[in-house]
Amino acid sequence: MIIKGGIVYDPANGIYGDEMDLFIDKGRMVEAAKGEEIDARGLLVMPGGVDAHSHIAGKKVNTGRIMRPDDARIGTEPRTAVCRPSTGYTVPNCYAMGYRYARMGYTTAFEAATPILEARHTHEELEEIPIIDKGALTLFGNNWQVMECVRDKDLTKLAAYVAWGLRAAKGYGVKIVNPGGGEAWGFGGNVKSQNDIVPNFDVTPAEIIVGLAKANEMLNLPHSIHLHFNNLGKPGNYTTAIETLDLLKDLKPSRMRQVVHVAHMQFSAYGGTSWRDFESKAPAIADYFNCHNHATMDMGQLLFGSATTMTADAPLEYGNARLTHNKWSNHDIELEESSGVVPMVYNRKMLVNAVQWAIGLELALLVKDPWKVLMTTDHPNGSPFVNYPEVITLLMSKPKRDLEMATLHEQVPKRTTLAGMEREMDWTDIAIMTRAAPARVLGLEDKGHLGPGADGDVSIYDLRPEEVDTSLDHVLVKKALANAKYTIKGGVVVSKEGQILATPPGRTFWVDAAVPQADTDRLMVDLEEKFAKYYSIQIANYAVQDAYLPHAQIIRAGLPVLSEVA
Amino acid sequence: MRTITIAPKNAFRISVEAENISTDKFAPLTLSQINSLVVWQGNRQKTLSDLFTVEGDDAPATTEETTIKLIGDYSQVKRIGEGMTAGVVEVQGNVGMHAGNNMKGGLLSIAGNADDWLAREMRGGKVIVMGNAGNYLGGGYRGEKCGMRGGEIEVRGNAGAYLGEHLCGGSIRILGDAGDFPGAANQGGTIFIGGSTYLPGAEMSKGTITVKGEAKVLPSFLKTEIVQVDGLAFQKYTGDNVDNGKGELMVGVGSS
Ligand SMILES: [Zn+2]
Repeated sequence: MIIKGGIVYDPANGIYGDEMDLFIDKGRMVEAAKGEEIDARGLLVMPGGVDAHSHIAGKKVNTGRIMRPDDARIGTEPRTAVCRPSTGYTVPNCYAMGYRYARMGYTTAFEAATPILEARHTHEELEEIPIIDKGALTLFGNNWQVMECVRDKDLTKLAAYVAWGLRAAKGYGVKIVNPGGGEAWGFGGNVKSQNDIVPNFDVTPAEIIVGLAKANEMLNLPHSIHLHFNNLGKPGNYTTAIETLDLLKDLKPSRMRQVVHVAHMQFSAYGGTSWRDFESKAPAIADYFNCHNHATMDMGQLLFGSATTMTADAPLEYGNARLTHNKWSNHDIELEESSGVVPMVYNRKMLVNAVQWAIGLELALLVKDPWKVLMTTDHPNGSPFVNYPEVITLLMSKPKRDLEMATLHEQVPKRTTLAGMEREMDWTDIAIMTRAAPARVLGLEDKGHLGPGADGDVSIYDLRPEEVDTSLDHVLVKKALANAKYTIKGGVVVSKEGQILATPPGRTFWVDAAVPQADTDRLMVDLEEKFAKYYSIQIANYAVQDAYLPHAQIIRAGLPVLSEVA
Repeated sequence: MRTITIAPKNAFRISVEAENISTDKFAPLTLSQINSLVVWQGNRQKTLSDLFTVEGDDAPATTEETTIKLIGDYSQVKRIGEGMTAGVVEVQGNVGMHAGNNMKGGLLSIAGNADDWLAREMRGGKVIVMGNAGNYLGGGYRGEKCGMRGGEIEVRGNAGAYLGEHLCGGSIRILGDAGDFPGAANQGGTIFIGGSTYLPGAEMSKGTITVKGEAKVLPSFLKTEIVQVDGLAFQKYTGDNVDNGKGELMVGVGSS
């Protein structure tokens, strides 16, 4: 395949809006190829989009669907010759997830939180999401085995458990959600800071985070730890964020990437002492990111309208349910996690919601290096991912932000710094925040760029970067981003002008990390006892079988010297 | 005034989804354009003229000036008058499920009976049923927090169970009996039931429910005073106290 004459943005390879031809052969980018020609003359061309934090599969997504038949009604689309039927808006069915990402020019999305015990369900759903490539992060932050290893300062056993857990869950990386708090919630409690003792375990959240970060680097995993802070969603929580990040600043990464990725930073950049004096602390957070290089974040942008909050942070969801009097699902995951789901409507006339909206944008605009900030809405917590074009145009257009600001609570300019912010992002910034950076943050070497050997994932938009004024023509830009002119996945045109043309199955990435057998042997003694005493299932039935991942893509990790041992 | 008359060509064994039979959809179209509007029968897409005969004035008119007359049996035809904002839809027989749902204005009059979900999530306008109505009249569809928010519904006969579930506004008047749980989770609408019912107002937080006949009242309602309305005595209750509700429930005294 030849893509002719596009204006290409491929920041990972130092290409910033050059007119050039691209070639794809056997699903990969190459230097030259023959075949089908796609006319992209003068049009915006970028690598396929990569979403590093989204909730697209698994038990909590499905709980959201079950709780929200009202949501299923929105976004219903009948089947076509190519597509199966779509339903839903904040919690779409599996098919719709694939079609809607593909229409926007996205070709990869990662599910951000799966307990090992429920990973089988996650993979059943991931397999049913067509077109896009996927992966799932595995939850470790409230796991009994993890906390015991941390308490005993047995780092090699902890690394062995992380490797074992990733293999059992067919997971991609280490997710930590409100460490210690999810376990405390099993007894109706929570932790109030990263230095609180987790009930019954004699460890602190700080020790869990640092322990898992060390194990992560010991295992040379492609992704860093992926962290949802303690106190997320609470006024005044920005100090927790900064103090927690400071715990990790001297750790050496095992690869060319961050040591910690912060999930949906917006929800942890809050000032004030209550919702009454609630204000943005985005400038303090951005300042920290500008002065340090060990951390990246994704925005977790909130948009007005319908959302469904879902997280392993169960005490947070209890608070949401109390606040909104809305439906609430609360769930305990044995020795591993807790979780909750609450539907939500964000209202532009509510001061708190309006400030939250501004904080996400402030963070992205104040952090100078776009490689440190991924564009996300923490789908569907801040807004469904179909609204990414709205977020992108807000970042690119000050007039659009001003138009929105004019409709918000009058206090917003006093409680945030957004009104005075002149920065307008360009296509290089956007290509980094939606393609190059998420791929680098996740450690996906063949994603997010268009160099030879990269996956043949390309999106072409009906926009002429050399003509369109992204500041003034934001309506046009948003429309063009919503339906790519072409989305090419692995060298196949999967979507054209919003029409899905082909639905190849996507791959699922997971990480197999090698560790010394002796460490695994020590670990198994602990695990066999836990399964015998506490788990509701047998250890032999615990791990996700290979049959659940017919399109698996295994990435090897672990200490290189150990690869022969395992 | 433009009048368009529609009649089914055959009796439908498989039900028809016909949200396009509405004054708003018809108003700007000529007859031949109306004929080619999409309807679904089961999983087959069809045009209106495949299933119905369409007659009347050819020239487009405003929605206010549009009247649709439905002749014959529509008990297997769903979603008639969905979202209509003005004009009149006159059904001379029975009508299928979800008629007048999300209606915002105008008049939907039904000479026969209406099936379930009539005028669910209605915002405004008026619905009159000369016969009986099915379950979930004026309610909110599965998962929805608000049912009817405005407008008026009148049923001359009886209504089924769960009428006005999640009611957020507007008024519903049933002259006959109502099935179980009328006004469940009522958040601010008004319901009048001329006959009898069972367990009205469960989980209601606001609004008023008046039952002229007999009603079994939930134990979570607090009995207050006897009040006179239009010369009739009613026992007043407040509740539902399970949800700290401030709703008013009035049940006729001495009718039994
Ligand atoms: Zn998330």
